[in-house]
Amino acid sequence: MPARNHKQWIATPPLKSDEWVDSRIYTDPDIFEEELEKIFKKTWIPLCHESELSEPFDFRTFTIAREPIIVTRAPDNKVRAFLNVCPHRGNMIERRPSGSFLEGEPSGTPKNMTCMFHAWQFDMKGNCVHISREKEGYQDRIRKEDQGLRRLRCEVQFGGFVWVCLDDNMSQSVEDWAAGCFDCIREAIETEPLEVFHYHKAIINCNYKLWHDTNSEFYHDYMHYHNRITGFNDEYFARKNVVFDNGHVNVNTFEVKYDEYEGFESRAELSFPTFPPNQWYMIDMFPGMNFNLRGSALRADTVTPLAADKVMIEFRGLGLKSDTPEERMIRVNHHNSIWGPFGRNLHEDLIGVTGQGSAMQTGSDVRRILHGRREDNLIHDEVGMRHFYKEWGKWMNRMPSDPMKKYMAAAE
Amino acid sequence: MSANATKIADAVKDTIYRSCLLLDDEKWGDFLELCEEDFQYAIKAYSPEIKYDMTYFRGDRKELKTMLDMLPKHNTDHSPLKRHVTVYTVDVDEDGKTATAVTSLVVYQNMLDGINSHVDAGENHLFLIGKYIDKFRMENGRAKFFEREVRLDTRRLDKGTHWVI
Ligand code: FES
Ligand SMILES: [Fe+2]
Repeated sequence: MPARNHKQWIATPPLKSDEWVDSRIYTDPDIFEEELEKIFKKTWIPLCHESELSEPFDFRTFTIAREPIIVTRAPDNKVRAFLNVCPHRGNMIERRPSGSFLEGEPSGTPKNMTCMFHAWQFDMKGNCVHISREKEGYQDRIRKEDQGLRRLRCEVQFGGFVWVCLDDNMSQSVEDWAAGCFDCIREAIETEPLEVFHYHKAIINCNYKLWHDTNSEFYHDYMHYHNRITGFNDEYFARKNVVFDNGHVNVNTFEVKYDEYEGFESRAELSFPTFPPNQWYMIDMFPGMNFNLRGSALRADTVTPLAADKVMIEFRGLGLKSDTPEERMIRVNHHNSIWGPFGRNLHEDLIGVTGQGSAMQTGSDVRRILHGRREDNLIHDEVGMRHFYKEWGKWMNRMPSDPMKKYMAAAE
Repeated sequence: MSANATKIADAVKDTIYRSCLLLDDEKWGDFLELCEEDFQYAIKAYSPEIKYDMTYFRGDRKELKTMLDMLPKHNTDHSPLKRHVTVYTVDVDEDGKTATAVTSLVVYQNMLDGINSHVDAGENHLFLIGKYIDKFRMENGRAKFFEREVRLDTRRLDKGTHWVI
């Protein structure tokens, strides 16, 4: 077809309504705010790995949908999550990204979290243990016994990841929520403890769903020289996408021929426990988390949506806690040569979504974004994205292909 | 410092500054000419988030060459990276054959691609900060790299890069 005029350009694509979306779902600030309320405050979000708070009194801080969160490890070794907000006058209690409460804060005592403003103190279970000049000011109207932190649902699951849900009424456990999508790598990541060896972040001017789309679709392997040369054989094209309840997807494995890329080597030697050599499974979880096991290294991406057109992505790499220094070095290398900030693939992926974000800015003309490839659920079939947007439509009660309309399942 | 040590320190500084010009100009081959056959390169950073001393990238001379030769096959951001460095210290070893230098490093991205090149091209962004920790061997009065550690403070790297820092 020759180049199109405006009317042709914005015409409904000759696809079913679940095979494309309207770009306003990536750009509309009202839809974005609604996503924070209806999705990010309601579902299980993985925040970090337990090895980031390995000792009692260690902590990590995060945000979900702008709500500040603190994760602590108590002397009973249990990991718990709380709102990182002081019940007194709403100050953020802990400002650092990580650390230990073993040492006291300047205005507090060791082993407690101290709000530096007026020195209220809390223990690792979220109990309020000290209110400065309590009786003098409050008599018995406010008592520390009633001023505990806001506790949040928190579970450590699937190889030691720490999951938090802001909704007390979430009916499903993390296990239920995953609906089996971790089964493909469960033995590999749960046979022995894991440890995080890599962390970096990117803030990209694109909608968070565009990053998740890129993690879900393999058609874009055309932009990765590395993946074309180490994949693109019969086995690669036989990989299947498998869908699970709650919007999650697996991309099934094949044997990657790493040595086809000059300078790279087979990862067989350091495969995760029980994991066959050089296999590669991908788990894409609604609403935007990704777990990616390439034989010897596990990658986990978490997204923190910042605006309709802005997302923070945190990248983690994990190996086995039992690694010798030599094994660890090789694992790190396997991970970072592809997925590090100076690796071959991640840079390309991030250029890709930056380009989408730049071409679909808030207020730009509506685009039709296609995910209508159907190839028997094989690797370049875009069933993963279709499955995701169906789930998105249900949580939002909006039609992905016409977001100002209420959700309706596409006619089969 | 002895006269000889001063001469060596000058040679070390000369190699560092020259290497920055070559890297700024993406003359990868010429940069590698300043490196010994057994050259080892790594980009490292300590993460207070995960309390771990990370290695973001590493390679020897041969691996770097292979990787740099393959750049045309990859999709890379076109925005040039420009270094600003100051050599803080040069310590010459007693035998006068090797030296270690610590150099403060700032890398700017001179936007060409940017987010929207129509708007961003021509603008500069701070890309990363850190230090070069370099080891040199003296050869005919010239200092050649046999080790470079790029020690980053930056952990938010946005799009990252395919290039050698
Ligand atoms: S705001 Fe926290 S003690 Fe006052
Ligand atoms: Fe990719």
